[in-house]
Amino acid sequence: MNRRVVITGLGPVSSIGIGAREFSAALRAGRSGISPIASFDAAGFPHYMAGEVPAFDPKSILQRISPDAWGRTSQFAASAARLAVEDSGIDPTELSAARAGSSIGTTGGESQVLERLTGDSLTVGFAGVDRELARQVPASRLAVAVNRELGLTGEAITLSTACSASNYALGYAYDQIHTGDLDYMIAGGADSVGRWSHAGFYRLGALAEKACAPFDRDRSGIITGEGGAALFLESLESATARGARVYAEVLGYGLNCDANHMVAPDPVSIAQCMRLAHRNAGIKADEVDYICAHGTGTPANDAVEAKAAVEVFGERPPPISSIKSMLGHTMGAASGFSAIASVLGIAESFIPPTINFRNPDPQIPDIDPVPNVAREMTVNIAQVNGFAFGGNNAITIFGRYS
Amino acid sequence: MSTGAIAITGWGVLSSAGIGADEFARAVTAGRGSAADVSEMFEEPVPRQDAFALVDFKVRDYLGRKGTSFLDRSTSLAMVACGQALADTDLVVDDSNNERVGIALGTTAGSVKSTSDYSRDTFVQERPYLVNPLVFPNAVMNCAAGQSAIRYRLRGVNTTVAGGALAALSALRYARNLIGCGYADALLVGTTEEFSPQVAWATHFAMEAGGGDLAAGEGAAVFVVEDADAVREAGRRPDAEVLAIEVGLHVPADEATAGPETDFSESLAGCVVRALSRAGVEPGEVWAVASAENGMPLTDGFEDRAIRAVLGDGPVRLRVKEFTGESHSASGAFQVAALLARHRADPTLDGRVSVVTTRTSDGAIGAAVLRGWSRGVE
Repeated sequence: MNRRVVITGLGPVSSIGIGAREFSAALRAGRSGISPIASFDAAGFPHYMAGEVPAFDPKSILQRISPDAWGRTSQFAASAARLAVEDSGIDPTELSAARAGSSIGTTGGESQVLERLTGDSLTVGFAGVDRELARQVPASRLAVAVNRELGLTGEAITLSTACSASNYALGYAYDQIHTGDLDYMIAGGADSVGRWSHAGFYRLGALAEKACAPFDRDRSGIITGEGGAALFLESLESATARGARVYAEVLGYGLNCDANHMVAPDPVSIAQCMRLAHRNAGIKADEVDYICAHGTGTPANDAVEAKAAVEVFGERPPPISSIKSMLGHTMGAASGFSAIASVLGIAESFIPPTINFRNPDPQIPDIDPVPNVAREMTVNIAQVNGFAFGGNNAITIFGRYS
Repeated sequence: MSTGAIAITGWGVLSSAGIGADEFARAVTAGRGSAADVSEMFEEPVPRQDAFALVDFKVRDYLGRKGTSFLDRSTSLAMVACGQALADTDLVVDDSNNERVGIALGTTAGSVKSTSDYSRDTFVQERPYLVNPLVFPNAVMNCAAGQSAIRYRLRGVNTTVAGGALAALSALRYARNLIGCGYADALLVGTTEEFSPQVAWATHFAMEAGGGDLAAGEGAAVFVVEDADAVREAGRRPDAEVLAIEVGLHVPADEATAGPETDFSESLAGCVVRALSRAGVEPGEVWAVASAENGMPLTDGFEDRAIRAVLGDGPVRLRVKEFTGESHSASGAFQVAALLARHRADPTLDGRVSVVTTRTSDGAIGAAVLRGWSRGVE
């Protein structure tokens, strides 16, 4: 069918804002969403900051499903989806009768539910845990929650490719509409903070103490974060026919695998993934105006990412900023938030900053991280980088619709 | 661009009924397979002493000691199944094409034991951060796909699909899309699920709630998937062509009262109809149905009603879980493998069409249509 695919609705549920308007304002202001951990007892952890979403009130957003029956990550996914649909202006009844589905990315799925069950089992044994909670563990429930919240009968697929999962989800959703298999898709990702991942990143030496400072000389790691990111995708014909506001067009994506190391990123493979994404999107590297970086703030990631960018774009890559400086690392939702930020940048002509930036790193190539202050500029084409454990690289490309 | 059928050109399987395609095929043909004593497998108590587990499975017996000592069970099972599948296909994978060969593996929630043990350590260790960094990747759901890519040097698209009972069909559908849209030439597609105390209890709770009595199982099955047209044009004979995979969600009319007992039969029947239509197959052509039935009377009844509504009483019913247990995401791949198993040694079934049906307790549904062939004489 080869239909053009556009984004007409955005649903961020994040530590810096809930809904497209709040999120956009926070990106422009360079606001930090990092606060002391409240969702679990962080006593005993040397590092206790995270990008939680304390303002998240699923009851105020969800209309069909009951939050009590779903884990926190499913609540994030379904709430983000509901906001994206509201933002798109489509009639929800019309949507639920259409060929519509969802693809949702995640790292941990409902692992915080499993964590609670595990904690409970220490006193009551597995035999004595809450059986209703045990039903909430499967990660497939993230996309299922989205469909059930919106009454969608099409495919509900949860892609658990860790920290690049939202880009995988966006790519798959794009294909579904591009090929004509489905007419509307919710794509994005969701994750929740938890003890196990906080501990794991700390022990890997990848957890910053107070702030995430991507590309900075003294960067020391990630801050764990959470939230839900959803984008509403439909064909250009459909958007035009209903007079919808088009934020941006999905031009294409690229996926590959390092097949080399479970946690260490590979600059050659990442550069290949960028070229693959450009080719699939039908663009040339020099047409990219802005790169929304994976930019975790770990010494390894940022060095590798900058090196790959120079390899692909030459000595002067386009501005490359990391919104993880504001949100922390929201894991499976991360590239979803990056996609929302980039799409807003295209629609509203700005690029978000890398906050907490003090000194350039002489050890990495000279890039423009958009230090600390958002920049007003025209963005015709944006590239969203997503990398993950397992060497799961995924890059999406968005363009201005004209 | 092709959006047509995909072909399965080789496969591997580890289940309590048999290890490897040939042994599994013999077990399925004979209807053989039973639960084993699992009382000595773990320190933690389990709800019952039997499970369809691979009690003696040790990854080093298959892959050697190097690089295998920290692997979780789910990943280990997947890696061995991937190796079996590559050995079973006539597709040659090397440095000249490995950028175009990927992996799509399905799961329920990854290695649940690894993730749960990680959480447990944060509660019981002297300091909450005293977890083992070497096994951190095991606690993340894409471990099996990532490790398999490293082991077999597959640099193409690497994806993990968390779909539970639907995961095998979702992964096949995902692979079909990648191949059809030109992102990959071939993929290892399958599912993996480990047995653990956590899974044993979750299965036990679900069985009690649904009035069933089936023990949990484990294992993995992996299929080498390629473009069916390309395989045919090369004069190669596949084990099967997957003609259609349709999935969807049964949305309860009223979420406030929705439970796992919501009648999904009409939605599933619609799914089977769509799959047959896309495959260009008449219901009367179907010789077998591999169902997800697991001994829970109500939900088995819904699935059975959907199958009979579309296909009547004619097709043979393969209830794979009877001899491989409730293996969650792995069960979906076992259903596909059981059909391939029946074809493998029986030329009288060459070219016949079969159907796979599945459903999750959350309303996800799926159906696939396969056309299979035997191995051996061309």
